[in-house]
Amino acid sequence: MTVETTRRSFLKFLPLAAVFASIGGAAFRFLRPKLSAATDAWLDVASVSELTGPQPVSRKIVAEQITGWAITTEEHNVFVLPAKNNQVVSAICPHEGCEVAWEQNTNRFSCPCHESYFAADGSRISGPARRGLDALPARVQDGKLQVQYISKEQATRA
Amino acid sequence: MRSPDDIRSWLQTTTGAVVVLLAVQFLTGVLLAFYYVPSVDHAYTTVSYIEKVVSSGSWVRSLHHYGSQWLSVFVFIHVIRLFWDGAYASKRIQWIAAILLLGLVMAAGGTGYSLPWDARAFFSTRVAEGLMAGLPFAGGMARLWLLGSSEISPVTLSRFFALHVLVIPALIGAVVVWRLFRSQMAEFFGPRDAIVGTLVFLALALWALKHPAPLGPPVAEAGADYLPRPGAQFLWLYQSLKYIPGGLGSIVGVVLPGIVLAVLIALPWLKRQRLIAGSLLGLGVVLVVVMTTASYLSDRRDPRTAQQFARQTAAEEAWRHQPFNPATITLTAATTPASGGAPVLYTKFCASCHGTQGQGAQQGPLKFPPLLDVPSKPRRSVDDIVALLKDPTAYGLQPPMRSFSTKLTEEQMREIAEWIVKLKR
Repeated sequence: MTVETTRRSFLKFLPLAAVFASIGGAAFRFLRPKLSAATDAWLDVASVSELTGPQPVSRKIVAEQITGWAITTEEHNVFVLPAKNNQVVSAICPHEGCEVAWEQNTNRFSCPCHESYFAADGSRISGPARRGLDALPARVQDGKLQVQYISKEQATRA
Repeated sequence: MRSPDDIRSWLQTTTGAVVVLLAVQFLTGVLLAFYYVPSVDHAYTTVSYIEKVVSSGSWVRSLHHYGSQWLSVFVFIHVIRLFWDGAYASKRIQWIAAILLLGLVMAAGGTGYSLPWDARAFFSTRVAEGLMAGLPFAGGMARLWLLGSSEISPVTLSRFFALHVLVIPALIGAVVVWRLFRSQMAEFFGPRDAIVGTLVFLALALWALKHPAPLGPPVAEAGADYLPRPGAQFLWLYQSLKYIPGGLGSIVGVVLPGIVLAVLIALPWLKRQRLIAGSLLGLGVVLVVVMTTASYLSDRRDPRTAQQFARQTAAEEAWRHQPFNPATITLTAATTPASGGAPVLYTKFCASCHGTQGQGAQQGPLKFPPLLDVPSKPRRSVDDIVALLKDPTAYGLQPPMRSFSTKLTEEQMREIAEWIVKLKR
């Protein structure tokens, strides 16, 4: 085959390539991720009256999120810090997003994944995390401590 | 000037249409799999999501839906063209590959129709079930193997899904690769194939833009008057089944097509090839054309049917304009929502005996009283309940009800008591 005929047959395939480019374009739009929408509802954490003593208190909040084709109701761990005027922090480690646990004997939060440690007021002690545990927006309404959920994406953002 | 040879070589380009349509089916199928979930509680929701929310989703699904029907037609034309050329004698591999492809493409269409799990899908699965059950000798067994169970169930949908997206595409891929390895690329897919393929795709793309793929109501919401129809490539079978009594439908729908495909595959080794293939394909064309036309005509002529279809079309159109209705997924251990439900400490200390919502419970011989409407009873105010939690015997209660004075603070007891007095039967 000469160069000329090769080019001519290549040109004949061009419309086909253009056609499949249209599927490619649709594929990009089709697969483009959609951000999930967390509700900004205020969620009950605890009665203020039951928050006594210096130890962080583990609580669960149940938050709704619209993700893709479903409304997902998911439980999230938070800690109330009586030592810090009942601030509520997310249990999600700001390093890579594992869940920290409170260690009573050493009086600190520890992350099971990469050994980040946090003090009873949520501030960073040591480890790969670059900052302390994230505080959730909180308020007290009718004697109840309430928070707004923040997503993992927000919580682990640098 | 067009020479007869020139026209003849344009007629050779059915391969181009088939290859392009196969590529469209693969690409759009992969895209749909990014959102589709093969489970009876989420299939319909995910397909609706593709239709209503995902960008270009309706177009991609319509390409896949109508592409499967066009593909069946073009593979059939391809087979007839190969027959015309006498490929069963001169190009055996092309011939066998084309027949295998015809069977596989029909199987893909049949299994794919069940996946959206709308009313049409459900009836289509029912018909597939009936066709299997009516098979001679092994009917009962064939039905069980198709459904994976004794009834159409979540297992059935998984089976159709696995066949549709894994087994059948793998077999189609194997046939195409086999065919490709045994031929020169230029002979397999030349520039003229590219042009024909492009035109076929353009036509399909425009058609799909104008016509979204149908989606019936969810199975649970379909009324008794819902009229399902199969995909266009199965209308001949659908119409034929109207004329055939009972179990004989399986003969026409499964056994005869199976025998015809087997004979056509074996054709290169048979005698009187042209007579056998000519009469089988000729009968096939006549059956498909006559029955498909009859199906369209009978749907159009009966005014009641036409009215019902108009209602269904209007309902589907209205559905398309409604906002997407998401599914609800609960990923919590808690049985009650945090707000408005039972206090956490009630759930921890009381719910195992008195029920998560105070409804009472029974464990073996032990009956635990419900806590509903307690304020209507004597000595059951909030203060009484707090006192009762501290000292149950003072209120005449017996074990296993015990004192919680070491477990709960006064405030915690009060929170529980205040929640309990609101419980209504």
